[in-house]
Formats: sequence, C-alpha cells, structure tokens
Amino acid sequence: MMVRRATLIGGVLLAAACVEQVSAPGHCPSFCPSGQIEIVDTVLRDVISRDSTFRGYVTALHSPFLLAADIPGFVDGRPIVRFNGFGQRFVVSTADTGAILGADSARLELTVARRDTGVHNLTLAFYRLPITIDSTTTFADLAGPFTDSLVKRVNLDTLLARPGRKDTITGDSAVVDTVNHVLALSLKFDTTAARYVGTDSGTVAYGVRVSADSRASIAISKTLPWQWYLRVDSAGTPVARKPAQLGYAFASFVSDPPPPPVDSTLAVGGVPSARSILRIAFPRFIRDSSQIIRGTLTLVPSAPAQGAPSDSFVVEAHTVFTDVGAKSPIILDVTRTDTAVIRVGTSDTVQIEVTNLLQFWASDTTRATTLVLRAKEEATSFSLIRFYPSVAPAFRPVLHITFVRRFPFGQP
Amino acid sequence: MTRVARVAVLVLLGPALTGGAVAAAQDSQFGIRGLGTPGRWESVRSRSTGGAFAPFDPLSPLTEAPLADVPQLTANAMESASYRDADVSGTTSALRATRFPLLNVAGRVNRRLVVGAGFTTYLDRTWDVTLRDSTLLRGALERYTDEVTSDGSIADLRLAAAGRLSRRIALGAGLHLLAGSTRETAERRFDDTTFHTVQQLAEVRYSGVGVSGSLLLGVAPGLSVIGWARADNRLRATVADTTSAETDLPRMAGGGMLFSPGPSVRFGGSVAWRGWARAGAGAFDTWSWSAGAEIGSGRMPFRFGARGGQLPFGPGPTAPTEFAVAVGSGRAFAQGRALLDVGVERLERRGGGLTERVWTALVGLTVRP
Repeated sequence: MMVRRATLIGGVLLAAACVEQVSAPGHCPSFCPSGQIEIVDTVLRDVISRDSTFRGYVTALHSPFLLAADIPGFVDGRPIVRFNGFGQRFVVSTADTGAILGADSARLELTVARRDTGVHNLTLAFYRLPITIDSTTTFADLAGPFTDSLVKRVNLDTLLARPGRKDTITGDSAVVDTVNHVLALSLKFDTTAARYVGTDSGTVAYGVRVSADSRASIAISKTLPWQWYLRVDSAGTPVARKPAQLGYAFASFVSDPPPPPVDSTLAVGGVPSARSILRIAFPRFIRDSSQIIRGTLTLVPSAPAQGAPSDSFVVEAHTVFTDVGAKSPIILDVTRTDTAVIRVGTSDTVQIEVTNLLQFWASDTTRATTLVLRAKEEATSFSLIRFYPSVAPAFRPVLHITFVRRFPFGQP
Repeated sequence: MTRVARVAVLVLLGPALTGGAVAAAQDSQFGIRGLGTPGRWESVRSRSTGGAFAPFDPLSPLTEAPLADVPQLTANAMESASYRDADVSGTTSALRATRFPLLNVAGRVNRRLVVGAGFTTYLDRTWDVTLRDSTLLRGALERYTDEVTSDGSIADLRLAAAGRLSRRIALGAGLHLLAGSTRETAERRFDDTTFHTVQQLAEVRYSGVGVSGSLLLGVAPGLSVIGWARADNRLRATVADTTSAETDLPRMAGGGMLFSPGPSVRFGGSVAWRGWARAGAGAFDTWSWSAGAEIGSGRMPFRFGARGGQLPFGPGPTAPTEFAVAVGSGRAFAQGRALLDVGVERLERRGGGLTERVWTALVGLTVRP
C-alpha cells in the first residue's frame, strides 16, 4: 500500500515537473536587465606597421598551370614543355626490338582550365623549342625559336564552331566540359610538326603563344599526355606502333617583362608569387576584454590591379605560426583565413574581412599578430595588385574593428 | 539504513529525481531589473492559507520559534508549477516554470531544544528576455535580436534552533547563509551575418549571511501571537572570482496571530515589513499581509486564504503590488507518517504597465518516520 502511494506521489511530481518557458519579449528599459550589450565601432589607423613585400614563393616551374598570355603593356607569357622520347629503338615483339624510323604523327591532349569566353579568335601557336630547355631558360633565350619555328596554329573559336568540334583536315578536336568549365583539346601534330629524332632519343620541346582580338590569357592544366605514332623497323619492314602515352619531362612558362622588383608598395599575386606581411599592434583593451564581432582590413591600391579581365583573383589573409619575416610559416586553416576578391582593372579600395583572424588572436594571446596577404592560388595567373604601405599616411592600411565590451554580469 | 536516513534520502532526492531546478521560486518580470524575485518561505500548507499560517508553521522557514513544537524528526519538501501570463502594452507572453523552492528537516535534540536545517529560495533570478532592435553601425542600420538570460537563484540555507522557555513562550533563532549561482548569457544576432554573433556568458556566484529570531507567545488557550525579525547583510556577486556587485539586503520584521476556536478550525493573519529600499535605486520597502483559515480534521483539512502587498523591484516611483488567493488541502498517509499537501494559488501583480497573472499548483510532501 505504501509503495503504491509513493508511486502515485512520484507520478504526480513527475507530471508537474519539466515545464519551463521563461523566454519573453523584452520591454526595455522597465523590464529588461540593467546591463546592455555595448558595441564599439572604431577605425584603428596606426596599428599596422613594419609592412613589407616578398616575392618568389611559387615560381612558374611550381605553378599548377602553364600560363599563356598576351596582354600588351603588362605581360607576354609563353608555356614551354619538353617530352622525353623512347630512345632509338623500340620493342616490336617479346623477343625483338627495332630501330625507330620516325613518327607518322603525335597527339597532344591539352586542357585549358581557364579562359575568357568573351575573347574572340583565341589562337594557340606551337613552336618547336630546343630540347635543352629547363628551369633556367628565360624568355629572351627563346626569342629566336618563338620567331621562326612555328609548327602548328589552332584557332579555338574556329575549332569549336566546327560540327562535332572536330577538324577533319587537321585532326584536331575539342570537348567543352560545362561541369568543370574546362576545354579539353586533342591536337594532332603531323610528321613535320612532330619529328622523332633518334639521336635526340626522341625528345621534343614545344612552346605555346596565345593570341586573340583583345587581351588573351589562358591557363593550361599541367596534365599533358603526349601520344607518339611511330614507324619502327621490324626485320626490315616498317611497322606502325602506338606506344604508351608520355607525360611531360619539363613544363613551365616564361614571361616578359620579368617581374618588377619589390618596392615599398605591398604587392600580392603575380609570378613568381608575391606576398605582403603586415604587423598589427593589436590593442590590449580589445584583445583582452572584448569580443570582436567584425574586423575589416582596408587597403588602398596604388594602381589598378593588373592582368586580364578573366584573371580576377582572390586575396587571402592568413596569420602565421611565428613571425620570422619572409619565411614566416602561415597557418593554413580555413576557419582562420579571410578573403577578398580582386577585380582586375579596378582601383577600388579593397576590404578584407579579418574577423576570424582577430578572434583567433584574441583567443590565443601568444600568437604573433602578423598578417600575410597572398593570392589564394599563387602563380596561377599573372594578375598582381599593389597597395599603399603604412609609410603612406594618407592611404595606409587601416583596421576597422567592431567589438563588444564585457557584459556587466552579476549587476542588479 | 535507519528510518531517519531513509527519510532524509527520500526528501532530498525526491525533487532532484523529477529533473527540475532546485531552490527556485516563482519568477516575475518585476525581478529582472532588480535583484530578483523574492521567495515565499512558506510550505504548501501555509501557502494554501495565503501565507497567514507561515509564521506559526514549523515547516515554513519564515520563523524559528514554532520549531519548538516539532514532536519528532520531520522533513518536508515542495514543488510548484506556475503558469504565468505577463501582459505589457497589450502584448501577452505565456510563461511557465517548475520549481522546488523548499526543503526542511527538523528534529528534537532533547526535551527543550529542536534544531532544523534546510533551504528555501531567497531570490529567484531565472528569466529570458528577447529584444528586437536596430543600431547604426558603419553607416548602415543593422537589425539584431538580443537575448539576455539568467538561470538560477539564491538560496537561503537556514540552520535554526528553537526551544520552549515555558508552556506559553517559545523562542527561536536562525543563521542564514545565502548562496547560489546563476548562469547568465548575453547574445546578439545580427541579421547581417557579416557581423558575428555576440555570445557572452558568465557564472555569477552569490553569497551573504543573515540572522533571524522569533518569539511565539501563547496569549490564551487557542490564541497565539508571534513576532519575528531578520537582518541580512550584503549580497556579494562574484564573476570569475571578482566581485562584480555588493548590494545591501533588507532588514525585515513581521508578526502574526493564530486563533483556534476549536480543534478543527484555525484562523490566522500575518503582516510583514521588508526594507528592500536598501538594495539601491529601483527598490522599495514593502508591506505585505495575509489572512487565511484551515477547517477540517487533521486527515484532510480544507485551507484557504488571501494575501496582498508590494513587490520590492519595479519601474516607476512606486512599488508594484500583488494580490493572491489560494486554496488547498492535505491528506495523511501511513498512520500520519506521510502528509501530502496540495494547493492552488491565483496571483495578480501590477505595476509600471505590466500585469502578471499567475496560476500556481503546489505539491508538498511531509514525512515523519
């Protein structure tokens, strides 16, 4: 009996419990807490100092793309690529090899990863280059071959306009990947353009120039399968052989003029890529006792961003593990990275929301309060922007911070 | 396990097992801007009589002298569930809360001395305020939603002793430790998500001490009067070991009369003054009164009562007022070793343009092993 009654009592208690709804619209100030959320918005004009630019982080050789550009007054970029061959002999059967007599043709699979679809008469011109090209080769070194060694020219607009995007005469074809927004080209090099020279071990090198009605700029993926169609001597009889595809042995690009020297401006982008480092004297009263809800870094370009219109790029602001100057290791964490898009040709003030970084510094006061500005994908375009440095008083970088003071908890 | 231990476990764990908040009383929007909403310090039996019996109820922690009449080890606890409509400027918010505002254990040490210990709610600080507004930031009007919350209360931990000096006079005294905490948050969400959400929180701890005393007189057969007084010092609020506020707490005094013309009829009345104006701006000294009766046998009496008075915190130049009526009953089980008290209270508070109407269901359990 006692147990039943205790159960009854417990049931009543349980049924009455667990009802909680205490949220109500505030009618201030009469029926609101005396403390209020206090927001402060301030522009810090002199907290950025010791800013400088360094160049050479990602070079043309290490770029994921081969950049071809013809932007008068800014840059002339030309990809160069070398394919090593199979040597002088080729395996014709399991027990025999034969001398490679030559090549009927070759085919290059080429992917244009970025192009301006508004540019007309986009044309690729292929030049035979010395097979000695390497990472030390300069634009000037190849001036001759790029003048007199034209082996093939492809007008992409014409090719794309053909039925099936195939040129039955030249053997070229194209596929437009609308999902990945790339253009895949399959280009045939005839026996004249693709000469298999046994004494060179079959090594060939080519350079690419791009041209268009207006400023041309494309990025070619570094996936460049090269397919030889060889003639091999098999017991005195020439036979055709299709060996395995070859990848490039060397791929890079050269450009002219060479990158301008680093000056007092804060440069970001270009090839080799430039980064700018800004040291910020983060005020202690904000860092220690406030919650930052928005921080904006304002940068004034010293000149319009240079490049092709299609080469707008993203500038990232990172912080660093430790500030050791040019080689400061940056923290590659998307939650602590802020970005801004740079439109080529415009000289508008650039504003980068750096709230994540400021909050990171506030949460860990041992961190160096150093910002590194770099292009999101370095050396993937020639685009470059320069900002006024902190030594230019009227246009120096400024930090606009919106923060909240500590709420007066515990006060009646 | 002894009977005493079983009782202690039952009374102490019962409220916790139901999953509600411990040591909190009925909230009020009037308490948001002040220190909080003062607790009632009344058992279900007393509250069902409008609070009129509280000064004479040994299980209501308002006074100590009635403890002298506790015959044996006794423990009680109560639960309240309130359903509150807060009406301001035509906008009504439906609010509800469940609280466990009272737990007491008392027992006789020897023939003359009874001691008791327990807790009740001193100030309730549970509320949640949302606000929609806008502010000019960076040259643009930014709309936002604020939510400021406080969850917790300040408990009054009482250690009391009482004894009968004679058949007509009982004297009691108590030491009160005020302790509690609130988890407070302040959040602002901007419509423009470029501005990150403001989120701040703090654990605020409260502490203070007080003393009280009471004198119970048997004036005549069936007629008793009581007087009591209490003084609390300062309420210290600390955030992260730093004192954020110190607030003077009130002096209090009150008295009551209980008249029992027969064994199954009791009438009571009480009055109390509390000097809350010491707490600072926006606080008022308050008067409160109550009157009620209990009719019926000890196994299942009928109780009713009313009370009125003022609230210590509110906007404007005068203190908000309140008025309540209550009814209730009780039932003894297990040869009188267990008592279940139930009650319902209807309360209305007014002041500063706010009207609160509250239904409160009360359940109390008393165990005498």
